[in-house]
Amino acid sequence: MAETDQLDTLQSVELADGVEIRLRMAGPMLRVGAYLIDFLIRALILVIVAFAIGFAGIAIGAKVAQGFILLAWFLMDWLYPVVFEAGKRGATPGKRALGLRVVQSTGSPITLGQAVVRNFLRFIDSMPLFTYGFGVTGCLASKRFQRLGDLAAGTVVIYDRMPQMPLIAMPPPIAAVPLSVGLTATETRALVLFRERAGLWSDGRRAEIADQAAVLTGDTGAGGVNRLMAMAHWVQEKRNEH
Amino acid sequence: MTPGDFEHQNAERWAEYERLVARVEGGKPGPEAGQLPRRFHELCLDLSLAESRMYGSRITERLNALVIRGYEVIYRTRRGGWENVVAFLAVDFPRAVRSEWRLFWLCSAVFWLPFFAMMFSAEHDIRWIQAVLGADGMASMEQMYAGKEEQLSHLRSEYGSNFMMFCFYIYNNVAIDFRIFAGGMAAGLGSLFFVLFNGLQIGASAGYVNHACNPESFWSFVAGHSSFELLGMIISGMSGMRLGLAILRPGRLPRVRALVQASKQAMPLIYGAALMTFMAALVEGFWSAQAIPSTLKYTVGIVGWILHILYFSLAGRSSIHAA
Repeated sequence: MAETDQLDTLQSVELADGVEIRLRMAGPMLRVGAYLIDFLIRALILVIVAFAIGFAGIAIGAKVAQGFILLAWFLMDWLYPVVFEAGKRGATPGKRALGLRVVQSTGSPITLGQAVVRNFLRFIDSMPLFTYGFGVTGCLASKRFQRLGDLAAGTVVIYDRMPQMPLIAMPPPIAAVPLSVGLTATETRALVLFRERAGLWSDGRRAEIADQAAVLTGDTGAGGVNRLMAMAHWVQEKRNEH
Repeated sequence: MTPGDFEHQNAERWAEYERLVARVEGGKPGPEAGQLPRRFHELCLDLSLAESRMYGSRITERLNALVIRGYEVIYRTRRGGWENVVAFLAVDFPRAVRSEWRLFWLCSAVFWLPFFAMMFSAEHDIRWIQAVLGADGMASMEQMYAGKEEQLSHLRSEYGSNFMMFCFYIYNNVAIDFRIFAGGMAAGLGSLFFVLFNGLQIGASAGYVNHACNPESFWSFVAGHSSFELLGMIISGMSGMRLGLAILRPGRLPRVRALVQASKQAMPLIYGAALMTFMAALVEGFWSAQAIPSTLKYTVGIVGWILHILYFSLAGRSSIHAA
């Protein structure tokens, strides 16, 4: 299947084990949300640290307290995302809250170096003037929603938990009709997906889509729908019988 | 076999696998964890089978998610312990700097040429320095370095101000290193700009002090941390230029892949640069402004430069552990 033909955000990655896994890339909107959550968390931590150290400042001296606050600021600014993304979860708290995760473009967990590269290059991605203009442009221009930091580190942001596709079961077809002609893998997949999603559509919509395959079914309208469902049933349940 | 049969037949295996993965994810692998790779491989086969038999997205999505979870824990990189830090300092870092000797000389030139040009203009045409520092800059240089050598240690006499300045140097100077590195993404122009700008600024300050203030109070202050700080900045410039060159001259690789490779090569440089700047902050915070005889401060500064030269030219040469 040519990659340019696809409309969804799934990326196939072939593992050494010979199996293809599909990673669902996260788009810029969701990542902005994660960034805002992280921003609030960082701001909150800084405020709490500032208060705590401000009180402690009576005991440790105002200058020492100032020093600790600068140190906390530096850590929040540069190391907060690096530490979390290089950690076991591969995600900052904001990303975790939205079910996102950073992985290598091969699907494996990212290394410390990659976390450093993608987060230090935020400095460029956030330009001009902290609008993240470069980052968003990178996301939209690249095939896998990668900002410049992701491109340089070889990382992608994916959905950690795949959002479940809503499925509404249709009554099972009465008959299983063998395919009259050989279909390609993509065509067969389309047939199966038609069956899975049919429950989401109205009768009219189902018929409209089934009419596209009138050559295969030899029927239009409700008859075509029934025939397509029967064929999908055969593919899924009967074809592999021995 | 129907999708239902397939699911029913394998449900127990999948559940067992999921338990194993969850336990490893939770950090308590237990004795059965050794089975995980085999079970992972079985699950991969199940996924391939479900895909090719078109068992529908409910089953394949579930298996896909399970395979990804297993992949994440099996291929997790192991963090090295302290021996990695030692190997980095003794071998990897000086080697990385040596292998990028062209970039070292480039970034050195970008820093030192404007530095000495500014120093030179102090003797011949002070207007260049005035233009770089501005009225405020000149006033603050005079405030710090116009008086006797003890003036700086008086500024630090308040309790905790050494620690405060140490933290400030980390907050400010280490962040400058990181920005220099990130600036490489703008085809190297950002890195060159920051290094050049610092060369101008530091050269102008030094030239102005020579011209209008008490040079000894300045030079005895900067001597101690100068080698750590300036070499650290030059090395972070090298890390940025490594990225920039991958964009400008990817060679035979596609640009993005050249960039990924270059960022890997730049890692030891940026780690080392941050460490050196951290050391500089320590020295600058707790040593440079103390009331210590200038001769001792100069000696420490010169020893620092000699040690750095020896370290970068000799360390890690004879090690059998290839980087």
